[in-house]
This record gives sequence, structure tokens and C-alpha cells, in this order.
Amino acid sequence: MSYSKEKVESILNNGISRRSFLKGLAASGVLTSLPGGILQANEDLNTKIPYVGQKNYQTFRNACPRNCYDTCSIKTYVKDGVMQFIEGATESTYTRGGCCVKGNSYVKRVYSARRLKFPMMQVGGKGSGNWKRISWDYAMETIAKKLLEMKKEDGTLLGAALTKYSGNFGITHYGVEGMFSSIGYTTRLAGTPCWPAGIDAQNLDMGDMWCNDPEEMKDSKFIILWGVNPASNSVHSMKYIYEAKKKGAKVVVIDPIFTEAASKASQYIQIKTGTDGLLALGMAKIIIEANLHDQKWLDANSKGYKEYKAYLDKEIKLDNVSKITGIPLAMIKELALSFAKAKPATVWMGYGMQRHTNGGSMIRAIDALVAVSGNIGKYAGGARYGHLSTWGFNYAALSQTKPEGSVGYTGVSAIKGEFAKESGAKAAYTDRSLNINKTARELLNAKEPKVRLLWVACKNVFSQDFDRNQLIRMFQQLDLVVVADQFFNETAKWADIVLPVATQFEEYDVNVSYWHYWLSLNEQAIKPLFEVKSDVEIAALLSKHMNKLEKGSCTFPQSVDTKVMTIKEFNPGIYEQFGIKSWEELKNGPVKAKAVIPYADGKFKTPSGKFEFYSDKALELFGNALPSYVEVRKPYDKFRMTSPHSRWSLHSQFQNLEWMEDMHPEPYVYINPDDAEAKMVKEGDTVAVFNKQGLLRVKAKLTDNVQAGTVLMYEQWYNNNIYNVNELVDDTSSDMGAFKTGAPGVALHDTFVNFRKL
Amino acid sequence: MQTLQPHDTLRLDEVKHLRDIFNAQNSKELKVAFDALNASIEISQEDLEIQFNRYFVGPMETVADPFASVYLDNPDVFMSKTTLYVRDLYETMGFTYSLKNVIPEDHLGVELDAYYQLLFLEIAKEITYLSDLRHYFLHEHLALWIPRFLERGLAQSERDSKAMTFILLQLKSLLIRETTTTRSS
Ligand code: SF4
Repeated sequence: MSYSKEKVESILNNGISRRSFLKGLAASGVLTSLPGGILQANEDLNTKIPYVGQKNYQTFRNACPRNCYDTCSIKTYVKDGVMQFIEGATESTYTRGGCCVKGNSYVKRVYSARRLKFPMMQVGGKGSGNWKRISWDYAMETIAKKLLEMKKEDGTLLGAALTKYSGNFGITHYGVEGMFSSIGYTTRLAGTPCWPAGIDAQNLDMGDMWCNDPEEMKDSKFIILWGVNPASNSVHSMKYIYEAKKKGAKVVVIDPIFTEAASKASQYIQIKTGTDGLLALGMAKIIIEANLHDQKWLDANSKGYKEYKAYLDKEIKLDNVSKITGIPLAMIKELALSFAKAKPATVWMGYGMQRHTNGGSMIRAIDALVAVSGNIGKYAGGARYGHLSTWGFNYAALSQTKPEGSVGYTGVSAIKGEFAKESGAKAAYTDRSLNINKTARELLNAKEPKVRLLWVACKNVFSQDFDRNQLIRMFQQLDLVVVADQFFNETAKWADIVLPVATQFEEYDVNVSYWHYWLSLNEQAIKPLFEVKSDVEIAALLSKHMNKLEKGSCTFPQSVDTKVMTIKEFNPGIYEQFGIKSWEELKNGPVKAKAVIPYADGKFKTPSGKFEFYSDKALELFGNALPSYVEVRKPYDKFRMTSPHSRWSLHSQFQNLEWMEDMHPEPYVYINPDDAEAKMVKEGDTVAVFNKQGLLRVKAKLTDNVQAGTVLMYEQWYNNNIYNVNELVDDTSSDMGAFKTGAPGVALHDTFVNFRKL
Repeated sequence: MQTLQPHDTLRLDEVKHLRDIFNAQNSKELKVAFDALNASIEISQEDLEIQFNRYFVGPMETVADPFASVYLDNPDVFMSKTTLYVRDLYETMGFTYSLKNVIPEDHLGVELDAYYQLLFLEIAKEITYLSDLRHYFLHEHLALWIPRFLERGLAQSERDSKAMTFILLQLKSLLIRETTTTRSS
């Protein structure tokens, strides 16, 4: 065989010789002779000789939608239709040109060989691993037929259930809920596994959940990071904390775990889990006794301060506070007094702290502490938890009417959700809501009609919900499980049909944060790979097939363009809030909401219009009007198990990428050396961690970052590993959540386990 | 046009059938292409597809991803350097690709198509203009990654699918034959 490698390479690498080669190719008639296949002859060669020199990048605006405080504004660089790299947008002072390790791996995520590529159907039963490729039309026709058959047999579509949560917070993705609304009254897994107890708490206290702009923290004089670890999970917030610290502010981390944020703080206070509320009450008492409270603000802006003070006087004994929280009294006093003296001072409460049976009451106690110190409604102050104040979109994709004659559930209030609420006139019927935090149990128990079809979107049920064994049983009982996702995960394993979903780079969308104040457009930067479709395109296709089978059975538009869908989400209110005239301005970069200090005007959305220490609503709903000490769940096993987020993943997202696998390839149980010694466990030993729920085998790492009596296991999912910490978590509820989000949260961190060396 | 010698027809057909296997969109297309390879293996259309998907398509982690970049650039990622290099080669060969940026150019089915078309020009149409490119593509690209792909596919423990083993061995013999065959002209 002889061929000239040099000759070919010179053609390939040299623009001029390549042009003449291509011209010759066109002239020689080769192209008309091609037999044809997936590749076609380039008929336009004469006019469009490819430019082989350096091509410039095209840039696009994107936004990270993965449920992270930071919701980064991203600038995407594309060459010849291929994403090359991304960077954080420099226009956003929050993102400030950087992304986290997860965001920086986006190119690898989009082009991961593990992406779901085609719609597929599992033949031979759920979990059999026997998959057939199906067309989108076949997939949608199958689902549509099933839905219509159910409607005919049951007289309603309540047998169709939707579970969707936070893997994609793009606003148009509420089109998934919209799709379910557009077929009739259905069953929804309602509530949130994330932050409901705190949402209720802040709403009881302040009538809203609205945190100050995190960028203000740079000017705070005292920052308490209370059960939050931004050094891992909100990396962009750290620069404001560092700046404040550099300017002399004190940064205190209160956490049962010595976290990355704790390592960066001025002081770390290790608190006994679930006693944070008591510490806050003790601190408030000390502040009031030292006369450092803001009486003027309290008089003008609060309700029930007197009752609250009386409660502190009578019920809160500082010696007890010290004993129960495990913090020396002198340290508590010092903390309370220096916090009260520093102005402005702020507390950032994490979502971990409210994942206890007394979580809502702890957030209420901390809100009260910040109020007592006079830091609510102040620049660089505030009791920070989260906000939805910049989420005033139209929810056009969500808002669909029911088909005529739809029959639903009677006598129950409409579905709630923390981001967008179903609206419209009061109907005779409603959807049926089941508690998302008890998915397996609730689906199994739902009767008349029983649930027969489950649609999973933006969510990995098996990684994030509880009681895996019951989930498997439940999934196997269902007639049809549809999982729409970007990757094959454990939920997809138990599906009948998997639908490949677009990433944010393959669709238009818009996004804001529940933490900072920036708004980002998400442009389609590349063509959708393989056969992936966006959630709203899937909804439209389902609508087309339902209407083909039975006219009028689905009201969702039958064809959509993600760009048009995105534009429909904007309104004058959004433009006004962000100081822009049109969404098109967002192509130039993200914009920030006009500066506002929540509650600076002293107006609260509570029934009294004031900050409510004493809440009638709280009394009515939860039997306790005041922020008060509620004991945490009693141990039912030897060790407390806590399962925070790791920095390498967002729940189960990102962990399957090689970068993350390189750095954090397998799960561990982190054990305090004293506990390990007592159980004769050494570093690297495989141990069984078990409780009444289940058992996991993992390697041990010994560290006094976790206190004695507690073990830590990250909540994430690992590729090719059956580890799932939720096998050990029961679905016990936290105290609050049902008020605003429709269902209480889960007391994740009130899980107890034992372990032994294997 | 010359009358094709039987061995030339065979040579062309084999590339074509293998191409069609890897480009099949459904079980019917797959079975037609598979049967055309004269396999003596009896397998139902459905089983063939299930096994094919487990090996090469997904949705679960595959036995061997059929993308060159996975073997030459990064085991987890496609649409990387190699894909763009192959894209360049196709342009130079005078091909356009309607699935550009949808299915990476270095997918085995697309590469076998390019190879088939170039070979067809040489053998059936007696156009040797692109022969250098075909050899270059074969020796400097296909021969670099397909052996690794085959190795991964054939290493599947206990070689649990006769049909897939057959496809892989056919591909192997094709590669051996093509890389040891002298130029057509
Ligand atoms: S995961 Fe968070 S920090 Fe990382 S890119 Fe996305 S929004 Fe930004």
C-alpha cells in the first residue's frame, strides 16, 4: 500500500492547497458519482469553499439552572457549532467571571458519552436492562394512549402522577407542570424536599421569605454563617465574606460539622445538632438583659415582643442553653454581645439546619434574634435564608387550562409549590396532591383511582427520595413510568420509557436565583444533540399526539419554539424591576434587580403588617405562637447521621463526570476517631452503617471534623455504585412546610444509625 | 463503468452492511443489515436490538461507545478534537453532513459511510481521485481507534452476545483486510 501522508496533510493543513484540491474535486465529477449515504456530496463546493483559517468564537448567554444558590450567568464560546468552553459572565458582579468546578465542566457534561441520546423503551420489565430504541412519535403515542385509556376507565386523569423538582430551574421548565395541567386534573407530588420548614418560618415571622442582596455582606460588620457552607456550596458568596473579614468584620460559623466555610471563618462554634434554636433564644436573652436590643425598632415594627421576652425570661435558662448546645456559657455570652454591638450584623441560615423535626422553630428563633438585635430591614443586615422576589415571571408555560369536562379531586385546596403557584378561578375540582417527601408511601397508598402512570422530570427520584425499597415496589406496580432526563440514572433504570432531555445550552430559557438578585437569559448555543428535546417541546409533542387520538384532550400548544416560550415569560414588572426595556437587552449580559432592602420600610406581609414574634397563624397551624425551644427528635439508634451536600455534585448531578470522579470517586462514612476507636474501626476499613431502614457498606474515614456521636455521609450519588445515603433516611417530617409549600419538609438530619467493622 | 468482480462486490457490500448496522435507527433496519452479513446466527429482531443497544447505544453505560474521540481523546467525551479532525477530513473529501453537530462525525456508522463511499468511487466508478484520502483516513484514523473499540467490545466478559461478537469480528476482519489490501487502482 502506498499513499502519501505528507500530501494529504499538506492539503488538510494548508488553506491554498486545500482550496485547489476542493475545486479540482468539484471539477472532476467525483461528487456526482457518490452512492449516497449518511454523508452527502457537497454540491455547493464551487461557491462555498470552506474557510480553513482560524474561525472566531460565537458567544452565547447561558445560566446555570441546577439548583445552586449561585445560579451563575455563563458566557459560552462556540466554534463551528461546537461548545469550546464557558466562563462566568463578567457583567454579573456576583458571578464575576468565574464558575465552580461543576460549572467549569459543562462542556464535558454536554458532550458526555453518557448522555441519553434517543427515546427508549424498556422491554422485558422494569429493571431488566433490555432497551429498545423508539421514535419520539411512538413514545408519545404510547403515553397518550395510556393516558386516554386511563381517563376512559377511571373517568378522570388522577391516575396520572407527576414528580418534578429542581434539576432544572429554568422558568420554561414549569411547562412540565403545565403539560400535566393541560390534560386534566392529575396527581402531583407536592411540596419540596429542600427548604420548606424555613419558608414557613420566615413567612410566619415576616410574611415573606426575602433576603438581602448577598453582595451587601461585604459591608456587614458581623456575619454568622449558621448551618451553611458557602465555601463548598455557594462559592461566589465567599468573596463578600472575605471582603467583610478583610475590612474587620467577624465571621462566625455555627455548625455541628467543621466545614470548609468554618475553616475560613474568624471563629468556629461546634454546636450539638438540632439545638441551634435554643442557642438563638439564649443569645437573644443575653442581648436583652444587656440592654443591647433595638427597643425603638421593636416598638415600631414588631408584634408580640412582650410575650416573647416573657417567654425568654421564664423558660430560657442560660446554664441549660450551654449544657444542651454543648457551648461554654462564656462563649455564648461573648458571641451574643459582640453580635449585638456590631452594626450591621447578619445571619445566613442554611437549608441543612431546617431539616430537623424542629427545623422551622429553629429558623423562627434565629429570625427573632436578628430582629431583637435591630438588624432586620437594614443594609448589610438581615436574617438571610432565600428569596423568590425576582421570580415574577408570567409562568406562561405553566399556566394551561384544563380540557373541557375534566374531572378531578373534590374538596382539597389546589397544589402548592414554592416557586410558582397554580392560579385561576376556584374550580369545583382540583388536582390531587401527595407529599413529595413521602413519595413511595403516598403513591402506594393513593386510591380511587390508584396511580398508574408516573412522569418524572428534572429529578432523580431514587437518589433524592426516601425508602428506596418501597420505591422499587411502587415503580414496579405502575403501568407506565416515564423518566425525562439528561443522563441514565437509577430512576431511569426503573422506567418503562426514558426521554432524552436537552441541556440549557441546547434550548432557550431564562433564570434567576433564590439567593442573589441577577437575571440571566439562557440562549440556545448549540443544536440539540442526537434526539434530545427540551421539556416544553416534549409537552407539545404529547399534546399533538393526544389531540390526534382525541381532539381537545390536551390544551398545551402542539408545537413550541423554546425561544418564543422564553419570551412569553417576560412582563413589564420584570422589566421595571431589572431596569430594562426588553428581554433582548439580556443578550448583552445579565442584569441586576434595582437595589432594595427587604423590610426597610417596616412593612411586613404578616396579618399584623409587623414582624411577628407572636403569630396567630403559627399557633393555628403548629400550636405554638412564639419562637420557642422545641427539642429535636429523640435518637432511635446510637449515632446521628448527617448527610450534607458535597462540593463535587448538586444532589446527583455532575458526579458522573470524570473530573468529579477523579477527585471524589467513592463514598465514605466520616467518623469521629473516638467513636471509631470504640468500634475498632480504622481508616479505610469497610464498615456497615445500618439502622431500621437499611444498611450500607462504605469505607471509613476518620476525622474530628465531625463530632463524637455523629457520622457524616454525603447525600450524593456515585456512578456505578449502589450507594445511596437515603436508604438509611426515613421520611419523618420536619415541623413546618405545609403552610406555604403544601407539605412539610423531611427531617433528613434526624436520622440515626449504628455501624460496625466488616 | 467496469463490471465489478465478485470479490469487489463482496468487499463493498461488507462495508455497506456494517455501516448500515451502526446507522440503523430501529430494530428492523438493524436486522436487515445484520442478516445481509450472512450471519448463521438465529436471533429475533428484538433480541438483536436489545443486545446492540447494550453494547453500543445505551441508555445504560455501553460496552463500547462507537465514537473515535472516546478512544483517541477522552474516554468520557465526544465532539472533541478527533471529531473536528474527522469533520475537516469529510469536508476535504467533498462530503456534507446533514447531522452536523447532532451526531458527531466520528461515530462509527458515519465513518464507515465515508469509507464506503470513497471505496465505491474507486472500485465501482473507477475514480481514484480520492484514493490518497481514503488510505489516509484508513491508516491514520480508522486503524488507530477501531482496534481499541474492538478490544473493548470483544473483552465483554464471557462474550455474552454471539451476534455482537459476530459483528465485531466482521469489523475486525474488514479492518485487517482493508489495511493489508493494496490500492484499488
Ligand atoms: S453549580 Fe452553582 S456555582 Fe457552579 S456553575 Fe452552577 S450556579 Fe455556578
